[in-house]
Amino acid sequence: MIPASFDYFRPQSLEEAIGLLNQHGEEAKVLAGGHSLVPAMKLRLAQPKVVIDIGRISDLNYIREQDGKIAIGAMTTHHAIETSGLLREKCPLLTELAPQIGDVQVRNRGTIGGSLVHADPAADWPAAILALDAELDVVGPNGSRSIHVKKFFVDLFQTALQPNQILREIRVPATPRSVAYVKFAQRASGFAIAGVAVVVHAASQTVSVGVTGVAAKPYRANAVEKSLEGQPLTAESITHASKRAASRIDPLNDIHASAEYRAHLARVNTRRALQIAASRI
Amino acid sequence: MATSKNKGYFGKALKRVEDPRLIKGLATYVDDLKFPGMLHAAVLRSPHAHAKILGVKTESAKALPGVIGVYTAADVNPTCGLLPCASPMPDQKAPKHTVLAGDRVYYVGHPVAIVLATDRYIARDALDLIEADYEPLPVVVDPEKALDKDSPLTHPDLGTNVSFTWSVANGDLDGAFQQADRVIKQRMVHQRLIPMAIEPRGCVASYHPGEGTLTLWTSTQIPHLVRTLLPGMVGVPENKIRVVAPEVGGGFGSKLNLYVEEALCCHLSMRLRTPVKWIESRRENAAATIHGRDQVGEYEVAVKNDGAVLAIKSRTIADIGSYLQLLTPAIPTLTGLMLTGCYKIKAMRMDVIGVYTHKMSTDAYRGAGRPEATYVIERVMDLVAAELGLDPIKVRLKNFPKPTEFPFNTATGLTYDSGNYQGALKKAQQIAPWDDLVRWREKARQEGRLFGVGVSTYVEICALGPSKMMASGGWEWGCVRMEISGKVSVITGATPHGQGQETSFAQIIADKLGVPIEDIVVFRGDTSVAHYGRDTYGSRATALGGTALIMSAEKVIEKARRLAAHLLGAKTKDVLFRDGKFFAKGKPKKSVGWGLLAQEAYVAKNLPPNFEPGLEASSFFEPKNCTYPFGTHIVAAEIDRDTGEVQIIKYVAVDDCGHQVNPLLVEGQVQGGIAHSLGQALFERAVYDENGQLLTGEFMDYALARAKDIPDYVMDSTVTPSPSNPMGIKGCGEAGTIGATPAIANAVLDALAPLGIRHLDLPLTPEKIWRAINNSKPSKSK
Amino acid sequence: MNIQGTCSIPAPPARVFEALINPAVLQRVIPGCEKLEKTGADEYNAHLKIGIASVKGSYVGKVKLTDQQPPHKFTLHMEGKGAPGFVKGSSVIELKEEGSGTKLSYTASVQVGGLIAAVGSRVVEAAAKKLAGDFFQKFSQVIENPSAGA
Repeated sequence: MIPASFDYFRPQSLEEAIGLLNQHGEEAKVLAGGHSLVPAMKLRLAQPKVVIDIGRISDLNYIREQDGKIAIGAMTTHHAIETSGLLREKCPLLTELAPQIGDVQVRNRGTIGGSLVHADPAADWPAAILALDAELDVVGPNGSRSIHVKKFFVDLFQTALQPNQILREIRVPATPRSVAYVKFAQRASGFAIAGVAVVVHAASQTVSVGVTGVAAKPYRANAVEKSLEGQPLTAESITHASKRAASRIDPLNDIHASAEYRAHLARVNTRRALQIAASRI
Repeated sequence: MATSKNKGYFGKALKRVEDPRLIKGLATYVDDLKFPGMLHAAVLRSPHAHAKILGVKTESAKALPGVIGVYTAADVNPTCGLLPCASPMPDQKAPKHTVLAGDRVYYVGHPVAIVLATDRYIARDALDLIEADYEPLPVVVDPEKALDKDSPLTHPDLGTNVSFTWSVANGDLDGAFQQADRVIKQRMVHQRLIPMAIEPRGCVASYHPGEGTLTLWTSTQIPHLVRTLLPGMVGVPENKIRVVAPEVGGGFGSKLNLYVEEALCCHLSMRLRTPVKWIESRRENAAATIHGRDQVGEYEVAVKNDGAVLAIKSRTIADIGSYLQLLTPAIPTLTGLMLTGCYKIKAMRMDVIGVYTHKMSTDAYRGAGRPEATYVIERVMDLVAAELGLDPIKVRLKNFPKPTEFPFNTATGLTYDSGNYQGALKKAQQIAPWDDLVRWREKARQEGRLFGVGVSTYVEICALGPSKMMASGGWEWGCVRMEISGKVSVITGATPHGQGQETSFAQIIADKLGVPIEDIVVFRGDTSVAHYGRDTYGSRATALGGTALIMSAEKVIEKARRLAAHLLGAKTKDVLFRDGKFFAKGKPKKSVGWGLLAQEAYVAKNLPPNFEPGLEASSFFEPKNCTYPFGTHIVAAEIDRDTGEVQIIKYVAVDDCGHQVNPLLVEGQVQGGIAHSLGQALFERAVYDENGQLLTGEFMDYALARAKDIPDYVMDSTVTPSPSNPMGIKGCGEAGTIGATPAIANAVLDALAPLGIRHLDLPLTPEKIWRAINNSKPSKSK
Repeated sequence: MNIQGTCSIPAPPARVFEALINPAVLQRVIPGCEKLEKTGADEYNAHLKIGIASVKGSYVGKVKLTDQQPPHKFTLHMEGKGAPGFVKGSSVIELKEEGSGTKLSYTASVQVGGLIAAVGSRVVEAAAKKLAGDFFQKFSQVIENPSAGA
């Protein structure tokens, strides 16, 4: 459990961090809460030559209302989200999901930005962030741009973020209370084998369904959403739609869950999440 | 010994004196030790399960600044002895267990080279610079396939994968099967488990070149046995070796062993004349510290229609991995000896085949052979009940010996010391209450829910044991010393390492000597302090170590009585001892206490004639029999039909470990044991792929039970004293692990019974249950 | 571990086959292939740098082609070892005409050992699929536009 040697930088500003990242390129890794990177380094799975710790950059840790949306700084911890009164009121999906991540120690250190950028296929946040149609602001040497979450997750552990860019902010809309996150956790790690986040938009008679843990990258269950578009949410319509939660998906397969079981859990948890969210309308 | 007095410490639920230092981070574990000039070792391990070593190039590693040396088999094997197995079998075939792999590796994690460097980081970096070249060879991981004629051989030079065979048989087996109304058969797999003590292994070896003495600090359960066995490996005589087990962060049997790394560190410390430290990583701990269980058996019982079990027979394959560690062959023999459980089964036979595979060795893991036996017989009792349409509790009651039948001789050749199996069962039923659980089940079933109730009535073997049963002595040693200040030093050879005997032994001796418990310090875990000992395993420390201390305390009292008589001007036979004071019969007001006696004994100016100075005594306690704790566990569980997840609704444990010195310690032991069981029953398993790669090499993939997984327990006890020791103690370290697994399994399978599911092997993971539900054809009955 | 997949390539089987057994093409399309040296008939030494996210490793290994049945079938063997462990795999590649192009299907058996097996089992299969996908995607690009990439 001893990492390979590396150079350590602790920039004071985002500009300085991006400068370092630009300078060191693929040799460098950004350290946020350290709950994915540090274990990988201790196992020597990851051996970055340079670690850029952005933990001291003060303007990355916030939750605030801004232009009708809620902006969350990338370095905001899971715990800060879990206990945010603003989010509980305006975007309860996030406060419902946060306590289901890891354990208290993990939530005290781990950050939402770190988790999203790491793009672990079994991380919890992506399900909610997808279901919320979030916007992600990334900053690089050529300035900042905004990426819609649907374009953010590219593949296994791979996002649209370039090696010299840093995620700065996640923006989510205010939602009604009709949301839910239902997760089937892997026993050993606590990661999601199938985590389903749902937002029911009663006004527009639509639903958004984000699924994590099931495939190599998190996805929106489009077939489920389409099936329920304009439909009343009844036990029958939900059950019927949920059967499509893993359609056209190549599910992951490992010692903890076969592809078949994962797909099944995606369907079960989609049904359950929709039922819970619908009951909260 | 009076045990239920209101006065005194015995039987009181005192908090552990060990805990403040552990909670505050003030305890000293091996990794906390630092010595001048200490070097750090790191071990290069095989990534292959079976391969020929074509070459190990160490030049680049040696060239790394800070690296002192890199050693391979050629450097150390010729001068280090082989790792011993202390429980050999008569027909055993064993490979030479060298400290480093010679020309082949036999499991993933097999040590190939060892690096010494000035710090741990450099040592670890150097491992990546060693170029080891392997030619992969055919691998066998499945113990049943290992018996096929065309199977690859684990050790080709042995010519077979069979390490040993062992049988236990008694009674008229053929007759019993002929008389049977029915024969019930079941195959059961006991999955491989990884002990995963939270503190991995580690040691510091320090050789004193002037004295020629060797000190080994090691995270072990058995410093005395290590001291006995090390001379054969490192060539230093026993009386020049000191072994210290400092604070130990969990053992569960995995540290009831001697490991090659301990011998390697000793050897290198002697060679370089400087202290050498090695600390195991979690990944190494998963791959290269012994594993547990891993038996596959076919079990057959002969029964009468009224539920009487006439006979049980089994052919069991024990997967022992690639090498015989200290007690590897003994583990399945404990399964055989306990196979008839707490039942009057007159005929039995168990044939064990120990089979080598390209995996880590199996050895003692909490319960060590007994959980397998209990799981088998308790599953069998439920199968018998199901097959005959009888109540599982009635089937058990039908086969229990009566309390008056003890000592009870089993068909396996053991003599159960004392028991009241009906009493524990009845108490557990009342607490649950069983009838309510059954009603809940019927209601749930009517609603289409999968709800089950399970029971297990277990007996186990503890306080090992009379020396005739053991490889190297089954006694225990202890010393009580009244210091000149009147404080008491209690020294035990039993090496408690977290079980709490620093507290419970102080309770016992405080009562015995009539001194405040605060005046007592219990010393353990250092062979220079506790000169003799057979250490802690098999729930033996309190029953045996505690008794050795009582014997010593009695000797101290008798000696003090003579001195008191001298000081009181009375005859020794007229001096009485009560509440820490000596006085002449009829004159309780004129007494002498320990303070004065201790001073006089050591100042030695006013002693009776022929009185040796000092107030100290030591004793060996040799038990006449083992002890046989027992109990009943009852579980109610509900299964989520959609996901296959199991939820424990109710957990009731009634354990009988004889008299309890400290009920809080008993509760803690049973709770921890049940947690281990819960893991085994529901999610824990070591997974090797078909190439012998360990896929559960970290806590990311090895599902140890966490605090949030543990249900609320309702715990209680009955007290049936053991006649095997004067305190009537039976032991409780493994009870939870032994009793709980089958209770949970029986509850889950009871929940699945309406679907016609008869048996599933552990662990009962959600996916396994989900698949069983999908494939089930609901039965008509129930 | 077994993985399989298919992809469509806009060139006839004969051309696809030729390209697939061409070391110059292989070097360009094998993920992370930094060097490919011929050591015998259809046998090469390879230097690979393979990584998924921050988990990167350098592997030294061999690439070998066997059971060639032009233009429809061959077996590609690859093995490599490095600090993160070792990887060994063989893939039967079959080519069938599909209109004017080729339908390629592969069935690979992959064995991993060492660190990546011990701590990466939950994503190893997904990673193998991704690398196989990357290989054939790149190959499609190369065959469509032989001068691109590299």
